Amino acid sequence: MIKGEHIDKFFGDLQVLNDINFEIKPSEVVCVIGPSGSGKSTLLRCLNHLERITSGKIYIDGELVDYRGNDKDLMKIEQHKVTELCMELGMVFQRFNLFPHKTALGNVTLSPMIVRGQNKEEAEENGRKMLEKVGLSDKADEYPSRLSGGQQQRVAIARALAMEPKIMLFDEPTSALDPELVGEVLEVMKKLALSGMTMMVVTHEMSFAKEVADRVIFMDEGIIVEEGPPSQIFGNPKKDRTKAFLARTNA
Amino acid sequence: MSLNINQVLLFAKGTLTTLELTFVSMLIGTFFGLIIALGRISKSKILEKTTWVYVWVFRGTPLLLQIMIVYLAIPLMTKEIFGDAVKMSRFAAASIALVLNTAAYLAEIFRAGILSIDKGQTEAAKALGMTRRQTMVKVIIPQTYRRVIPPYANEFIMILKDTSLVSAIGLAELYRASEKLSSSTADWRYLFIAAAIYLLLTSVATQVFAYFEKKFSVYI
Repeated sequence: MIKGEHIDKFFGDLQVLNDINFEIKPSEVVCVIGPSGSGKSTLLRCLNHLERITSGKIYIDGELVDYRGNDKDLMKIEQHKVTELCMELGMVFQRFNLFPHKTALGNVTLSPMIVRGQNKEEAEENGRKMLEKVGLSDKADEYPSRLSGGQQQRVAIARALAMEPKIMLFDEPTSALDPELVGEVLEVMKKLALSGMTMMVVTHEMSFAKEVADRVIFMDEGIIVEEGPPSQIFGNPKKDRTKAFLARTNA
Repeated sequence: MSLNINQVLLFAKGTLTTLELTFVSMLIGTFFGLIIALGRISKSKILEKTTWVYVWVFRGTPLLLQIMIVYLAIPLMTKEIFGDAVKMSRFAAASIALVLNTAAYLAEIFRAGILSIDKGQTEAAKALGMTRRQTMVKVIIPQTYRRVIPPYANEFIMILKDTSLVSAIGLAELYRASEKLSSSTADWRYLFIAAAIYLLLTSVATQVFAYFEKKFSVYI
């Protein structure tokens, strides 16, 4: 469904991703864990071109969307094709990034209307369904500033779902939330996972990874140190760095 | 002081001219200002540099001089170079100078407004498949309204008052009307009437902009 080969990413002289290889299969839920600065968010952001990789290849649905070396495109890929394929990825941000001038429903319907060309009725009907999915039907007409952090993040999930992505990317979706609001967001994500959505989740919520992930990737200093089913990563980690990290997080 | 019908008419016409100049230059200036602001933040080096030069020139020279250049220097210059003078009415010359000048200031106001919007908004829009243009029009610019209104109101009031500079090319706007009356009748009161009218106009403008600021703040 989504595949990365030999991905390197530099910010100036600093290498944040070092020869990353991974693949995510349809309906798989993969959690990426690791200490701050390990490159896990950067990896996620590279997948939908919010950052460009320095070198390597990225495939979405078997199609090449990035083939780069030394910060240059090694193969000309048509922009509209890249845009189309990137739209198969829905993204949820740490800081929600809702559009503050739009209501919850306005946030959910904007892109379906102007990018997918849906008319207002169609977009709103679908948008209300998405808000229902995240349990916020009654908040459709509220502006984000009137919603709690947890509600805002659920609207952000609905907004991404409204574009009917095949894969959902979550970039530390609960890190900016008050502890008592984390649960409602994780609950929505769990439901989404159970419904068969393909998901890649960068998270610090070890219990969520344990419970929901099919596979856990542990990253440190820009490399994938270890990956496997949660039972293995949390129960029987093989690498010292994984053990040390898990000991620190009391998982 | 006498204030007969002719003098009232002079004031009315002067006020009307002042308002016309203000609205024409603000409306057209807003349009150009926005384009220049987009040029300033453009990825294209040429656009970025040319718009920078524009702002540098029109913000860096006196408005009075700009008015005189448009009205006086350009006809003389074109005559010397092409043998044919590009002539225009006083009102046209005054409007052009005011538009050119206010566009430079407005461009900086709009640019600051656009840059003040969190980067996360652009990223969210991009992740949702929007193009740069859609992001600008549907996401970024609507969010700048509220932030841009106070400095925009400021510029509006400045221009309203600075229209008095076009008296230098003999256009009978509010200031010039009162000044002529005062000096021809040796009565100081006319100048104070003009001051009162300017104050009234700027007060109304302040209220109108305050209303819009509130209106665009509903989502805060």
